[in-house]
Amino acid sequence: MIPATARAHPALAYLRAHRGRPATWSDRYTRVFGLLVAAAVLGRPVADALAGLARHADPARLGAGLALVAAAYAGLLALARALGPVVLPAADAAWLVTSPLPRRAVLGRTVLLLLSAAALAGAALGLAALSVFGAPDQLGARLAAALLLGVAASVGGMATAVLGQQSPASDARLQFLIAGAVSVAVLAAVLGAGPGRRILAAVAEAPASLGAAVAGLASVVAAFLVRRAWAALDRIPAREILASSTRTARVTSAATLLDPGMLTWVAEDVHWRGRALRSRPWPRLVSRLGPAPALAWQEWLRVARRPGRLAALLGAAALPAVCADATGGAIGPAAGVLLCGALTAAAMCTGGVRRDGGDPALARMLAVDGRAATAARSVLPALLAASWSALALAGLQATGALPPGAWWALGPAAAPALAAGALRMARRRPVDHSMPVIDTGGGPVPTGPLLWAATGVDLALLGSLPALAALASRPALVAPYVAAQAVAGAVVLASYILRSSRGNRT
Amino acid sequence: MANAIITARGIGLDLGGVPVLRGVDLTAAPGEIVAVMGENGVGKSTLLRCLAGLHSSPRGEIDVLGGPPADLPEFWRHVVQAGDEPAWYPGLSVREHLELMSAVQRDARLTVDEALETFELSARSDLAPLSLSTGQRQRLSLAMTLLRPSRLLLLDEPERGLDTGFRQRLAEILRGYAAEGGTVVMATHDERLAQDAGARVITLRAAS
Repeated sequence: MIPATARAHPALAYLRAHRGRPATWSDRYTRVFGLLVAAAVLGRPVADALAGLARHADPARLGAGLALVAAAYAGLLALARALGPVVLPAADAAWLVTSPLPRRAVLGRTVLLLLSAAALAGAALGLAALSVFGAPDQLGARLAAALLLGVAASVGGMATAVLGQQSPASDARLQFLIAGAVSVAVLAAVLGAGPGRRILAAVAEAPASLGAAVAGLASVVAAFLVRRAWAALDRIPAREILASSTRTARVTSAATLLDPGMLTWVAEDVHWRGRALRSRPWPRLVSRLGPAPALAWQEWLRVARRPGRLAALLGAAALPAVCADATGGAIGPAAGVLLCGALTAAAMCTGGVRRDGGDPALARMLAVDGRAATAARSVLPALLAASWSALALAGLQATGALPPGAWWALGPAAAPALAAGALRMARRRPVDHSMPVIDTGGGPVPTGPLLWAATGVDLALLGSLPALAALASRPALVAPYVAAQAVAGAVVLASYILRSSRGNRT
Repeated sequence: MANAIITARGIGLDLGGVPVLRGVDLTAAPGEIVAVMGENGVGKSTLLRCLAGLHSSPRGEIDVLGGPPADLPEFWRHVVQAGDEPAWYPGLSVREHLELMSAVQRDARLTVDEALETFELSARSDLAPLSLSTGQRQRLSLAMTLLRPSRLLLLDEPERGLDTGFRQRLAEILRGYAAEGGTVVMATHDERLAQDAGARVITLRAAS
């Protein structure tokens, strides 16, 4: 019997020895040379950027900046929770986790990688936070405190995520932490421009010693959490590691095959697998309207089944306004966020179209006319895109980035084009890697992934040109642009529906 | 055959330069069950795909329901093909997949409850299909196939994943479908299923 406490088990030593060839002098030389070149290339810009931090914070941008940092932190934790975070390569997961080898030794390498990734992400978050709050004095001390605080928050969060894998109670604590970070982001975005501005300004002007004390305290808490997570490694149930490893292996293979469409598919399957659903009959009214509306009804059902996602989407409608606020009223980035958000809202309810595009077996079984199905399936995406963009435009106007007028109406007017774009995105084929790679001055550009990424976005952009022109020029009278946008949106969607049939997938 | 549902003569197909089918003849009348059998790789599934119009240019003449088969909704309104496991719609339960089929296809042959009972899925009706076992997912696929009205079923290894007891049940279900005037062409490795269903057996041989 293999002793469970063995530190360097012969089996692990064997695996380590047979994993790839050992590093040669040439490998080491290449690594060191690469690091030196990177330091030489990046040294000056990084030094300049750090020197640029020695300034007072801009009170107008404090709220929006903090909101973005808090949202990024929440995203990091949510990603860690979604992926595992403790995962192994598929073969190790299948053979080593269920073996009597000491689990901590099997997972050691993964934990080291997680720790490094968390430390890097934390350092980036700390720098971002310092760039928001500025460093009016003692740049070195403030920089060190910000880096330490960021790393402590990130590593502590990652340790909580590892603990969450071990027990549901710890997972609940992680969810609480994510909800807290999201709440800070929302509060900073909403109150940062008004009543919260004074508080944030006071934080920005706080002495460096206070920052160092907070960073020190955070480090102690993070160290405590890391110690607990390390102790808990031996107790993580094998099924948890196997499930996360399978999930991550699929995501990784989708990413390495450069087929990002698969990621949505995997995420959907992970969400719904093993869930008991309360089956509902199809409403009679919908069935009476015909086969196409009956087919499209499933999207309404799916959206209603994920109220959390809908609420997050609703909250994200504030992002363009936050972005305009953070960039001092610049409309360019805000318009980009607006278009991305509206397209995301429309794409959120095209799961059925994506399945039929990837595997038409069920579509053939259902035998619904292609044009009628496309028309019926465009209603919900258009409705969601219209509501989201109307809210987002109203928010932008409230921050003063847009002049008075019915700017919100541009959203519903552009919605049909956005729905057409989202449907085209849902139907696109996997990336065609046989497409040529074009050599440009900036390096080789693979046209396959580029075309894949542009499919769908092209239609949305084309159909939203009047709205984008209005946002770029910010005219005093927006009504003519709304009218032009309504026509463009309707024409794009109608043409897309007319062209759609089973043989013509995009 | 004057009123044949399928008349196929001299079907041939090469895939990647390798002959997969050569000179295959097949006819099927209304109310008839045809079982296509043969070793792995002799082209059973390919033949079914040719009959479904899913291969662009097979050689020979293929006439299904009075015309060449075509991958279009009008064709699929009369023909149902069930082969590999389909990509289930995310977020819909077993019952809701059947509800969807029932709502889309008017004049369904079975009610949703009848389909759940016939295919022994009542106890799993509120689960997502991906939570079912392989055999249960195959039953769901067959339930969707047989719930809707059709004139021709093209089944590729319908016995896949099914236990022995349910294979006998499937034979009964297919006999019932044929008794209503429907035609079934199935590729299968299960001689017992073919026999229990009262199928006419066609054995394919390797083309190369």
